[in-house]
Parts: sequence; C-alpha cells; structure tokens
Amino acid sequence: MLYNESAPILANEEAGCNIWLMTVAAPQIAAAARPGQFVHVKVPGMEGHILRRPFGVYAADAQAGTVDMMYQVLGFGTNHMTSLAPGDAVEMIGPVGRGWQPSANCKKALLVAGGVGSAPIHPLACQLAAKGAEVVSILGAQTAEALVARQRFEAALGCAPRCSTDDGSFGRAGFCTPLVQEALDEAAAAGAPFDYVACCGPEPLMKLVAAMAERAGVMCEVSLERRMACGVGACLSCVVDTTAGKKRACVDGPVFPSTEVVW
Amino acid sequence: MARKPRHTNVNLAVNLGGLPMKNPVTVGSGTFGAGMEYADFVDVAALGAVTTKGVSLNGWEGNATPRIAETASGLLNSIGLQNPGVAHLKEVELPWLAAQGATAMVNVSGHSFDEYVAVIEALEDAPVAAYEVNISCPNVDAGGMTMGCHVPSVEKVVRLCRAATKRPLIVKLTPNVTDITEIARAAEAAGADGVSLINTLLGMAIDARTRRPQLARVVGGYSGPAVKPVALRMVWQVANAVSVPVLGMGGVSCGTDAVEFMLAGATAVAVGTANFANPTATVDVIDGIIDYCEQYGVTDVNELIGALEC
Repeated sequence: MLYNESAPILANEEAGCNIWLMTVAAPQIAAAARPGQFVHVKVPGMEGHILRRPFGVYAADAQAGTVDMMYQVLGFGTNHMTSLAPGDAVEMIGPVGRGWQPSANCKKALLVAGGVGSAPIHPLACQLAAKGAEVVSILGAQTAEALVARQRFEAALGCAPRCSTDDGSFGRAGFCTPLVQEALDEAAAAGAPFDYVACCGPEPLMKLVAAMAERAGVMCEVSLERRMACGVGACLSCVVDTTAGKKRACVDGPVFPSTEVVW
Repeated sequence: MARKPRHTNVNLAVNLGGLPMKNPVTVGSGTFGAGMEYADFVDVAALGAVTTKGVSLNGWEGNATPRIAETASGLLNSIGLQNPGVAHLKEVELPWLAAQGATAMVNVSGHSFDEYVAVIEALEDAPVAAYEVNISCPNVDAGGMTMGCHVPSVEKVVRLCRAATKRPLIVKLTPNVTDITEIARAAEAAGADGVSLINTLLGMAIDARTRRPQLARVVGGYSGPAVKPVALRMVWQVANAVSVPVLGMGGVSCGTDAVEFMLAGATAVAVGTANFANPTATVDVIDGIIDYCEQYGVTDVNELIGALEC
C-alpha cells in the first residue's frame, strides 16, 4: 500500500558538509516503511521543476509518526530544500520499493555505506541489531564532517562503525573498500564468516563491494539510484539492467541482489 | 484511499468517436501503466477511460538510460515503448481493468504496418473499449513517429487498422510535422473515429558541465506544462479541420487546463506527465471540470466542446 501524505516539516538542519537532515510528520508512511524503502517527495515552491525527488528513508519512527531523510545539496532542488523550515510541508508518496531482504536467520552482517548512502542502510542496521544479529558497519565519506551518520550507527549497533575519509581527517585515509576486504577476511579467518552484505553508495563502490562479497561467497544486496519520474512503477524511466532484463529501480528495487545487477 | 471524483449534477458523459466515456478524462499513454500502479491513489473505474501503455506484438526492451531529463516546466523522455508484449496485456492488465470496472483504451504500437494489425487482431477477443493507434512516438527507430509524419503511411496504417476492427479507432498524432491538420485529415479519410494529440515534441537537453546529452538516446519527447500552448493551438487547428472528435492532451494538470482544451475543440482530454508529480491528478482534473461547470452554470460538459469565442 502506498500513501500520499502532506508531511509537515518538523526540522531541517545541516548535519555537516552540505549534507542536511529533514524530519517530517508522515504517520502512515512512518508506520509502513521497511528498511531500504524510499519516499518520493514533492517539494513546495519549485513548481517549475515538475518532478518529485526520491529519498531513502533514514529513519522511520512509527510511534512518533516521523520520517527522517538525509540529502546532499547538489542541484536546484536540494538547494531549494535547505530553505524550507518548520511550518512548511512537503508531499510524500511512500513507502516505495523493495527494501533490504536479508535472510530471516541472518546472524552476521556487513553493512557498507558511502556518503549519503548511509541513509537507507541505517534502518537496516537498527533492524538487524534488534534481531540480535552481529553487525559490522563501514562508513566512507569525503571528510570527517561528512560522516554525519556515524553517531546514529554507533547508537544503533552499540559499537563504532569502521570509517574512512578521502582526506584522512577521520578513520582510514582513502576509500572504504580496503576496510570491506579486511572485514571479510577477518571474519573468514576467524571461522565466523558474514552471511550477508548490504551496500549503498556510489555505483563504483557497490560494484567493488559486490565483487568482494561474491569472491567471499557471501550474499550481497545493493541499493541503486536512477533518474525517476513517477516513482510508483508506471513510467519505466528508472530501469536497471539485470540478468532478468530491465527492472524498475522504484518498485522492483531500489534494493537488488548484487548478482542480478548487470554492472 | 483511492479517490473518486466528487458528486455533481453536471452531465460529464461524452462520446469519443463511439467510445462512451463517463467523463471526459483519460490518461496519456505511458504515464499511467494500465492503472495498477495508481490504484492506491485513484479509482481507475472513475476515469472516462484508462489508456494503457503502448503495446507491441512481442515485448520491446526500450532504450538505454538515462531515459528522462527534467527541464523548465517540462520533462524529456526516451523510454522507447518498453513493454512486455500484447499477450501479457491480455493475461494481466486487461482482466484487472475489467475487474475494476474500468474502461480500457489500448494504445497500439508497431515497428511495421503488419505489427499494428497483428496487435489489434490479438486484442479483438479481449475486454477493450477502443484502440489508440500510436503513430507518433518519437523514441523508436521504426514505426511510431516515422509512420505518422507522412500522409501516405498514415493513410495506409489507419486503413489497415480500420479493416481489422469495428471498435472505436483513435489515431494519435505527432506534433513534429509542418501541418498537423493534413495528417489529421488523412487519418479521418482512412477511417479513424477520432484523433488524439499531441504526442510529445521532439527535444533535447545538454549537460554543459560534461558536454554530454542528458538522454542516452540524445533526443527525446518533451511533455508537461511547458507544451500546453503548442498543444492547445494544434487541438484548435485540428478540431477545425476534421469532423471526428479530438482527444486533447499536452500539459493538462488541472480542471482549468482540461476546460481550455475542450473550448479549443477537444471532446475529451488526457492527463499525462501530471500523474508523475500528482498521483491523483486524474481525479483532481475531473473535480476541477466539475468546479468550472458549476461555477459558470454549465449543466452539460458537452456544451464546452469547441465553445471558444473567437
């Protein structure tokens, strides 16, 4: 079931390094959202831009009826979003799409997020931790300031995420891929391999992580992003090449088994 | 909750070339699937008709991505008529539409004259109220717009389709021609029961930063509020040139837009790109037509057709 809610903005603040967090009240979507799903947002005051914008759900609080979105200021739309404040409202379709689908008895998961890819991974971290799975998280960003999800991951998992920054200002210097390989190797060497890998971030990162997981023999899912119009599966704008032909990122994804994706 | 139009005493029923519609609002083919994707938002049976995504005989893969680019008040697309083929439409979407009580108009596509006919023949035993013959898609290499730009090929494809069915046959026209009235008259002469227009305008968008086109196929079809003046002009021209009814479309987003198309001569309108931003756009447009009629004392929506004063 999809809802189209007028969602009053409760907070909209920069979290660091041009990355913003917006909290809105959207009780139906908040109650229905599953980790990895997204919301399709119509932003007021930019009617000349006629499409909605998709954002992965960073957090959905069913009790409070709130949805958190993380966005990086990149173009006109995200720039305009920074001018919104409590008192304004966005319109939101959601929760959309196929979310993360670790096996029901997932015991040990490796979660890898690059940049704002941490947003749709975060609810998965919460879900797996609540189920008692052992979770290792790896966050990569350009700078320490851009690691905006670090504290939330630590709070969700009870242990600090392993981090990398491009400029070496926090954690390992460089891309996060060496951390991923090390985590896979460590687990294998300890005789306690991961049984699930999830990755969201720039496509080259997801491709590399998918290949590492495949070599390690671990099931892997990735969350893909495409230019999107309707966001409900009708327009066929956002298709992804898969081993089973073209699939829609919006409703067949955004999360796909990595082995299905034709990179 | 799936929305329905509000109650009114205004007569909204129109007849589009033999297709009875409970109100003058359908959807632009390709913007609404076959309605399933919008069923959480609107009652598809409440629409005048559901025009389904263009269907070919066997499935088509469509074009490479990126397939869309947003431009000022508009949208470029080059989907390329991706569809799973007519058998899938018959097995899945048409029975679903019938079960909803919806009126189905099937948009028919083909790479060749024979394929258009074969698709119609395959659908003759299916619950289809009318066909819309797509000779105007700008995003395929064969068929589509290539067939709809020249009088001889328009006459031929429409005559062949006409011979294949007695159901209402609406021919969808491209605006990418020198004189659309010439094409409309050719379709009428070959047996069309109505014409629909406009399909998208051929356009392109460029990313100056990367010096690359924004669409993988470089050019695509332009739609949305930005094209409405062009569409209105063409609907007005065509309505004055033919005697069959016109299904008008191009940037229809609200009831007032729909009324403008009807005043220009359209018997019904299609809501297209507006569905993407507003999943209840179809019902909002119907409600807006009701609002207009009640406000201006129009008791029958048919009074609006061609009522432009000029």
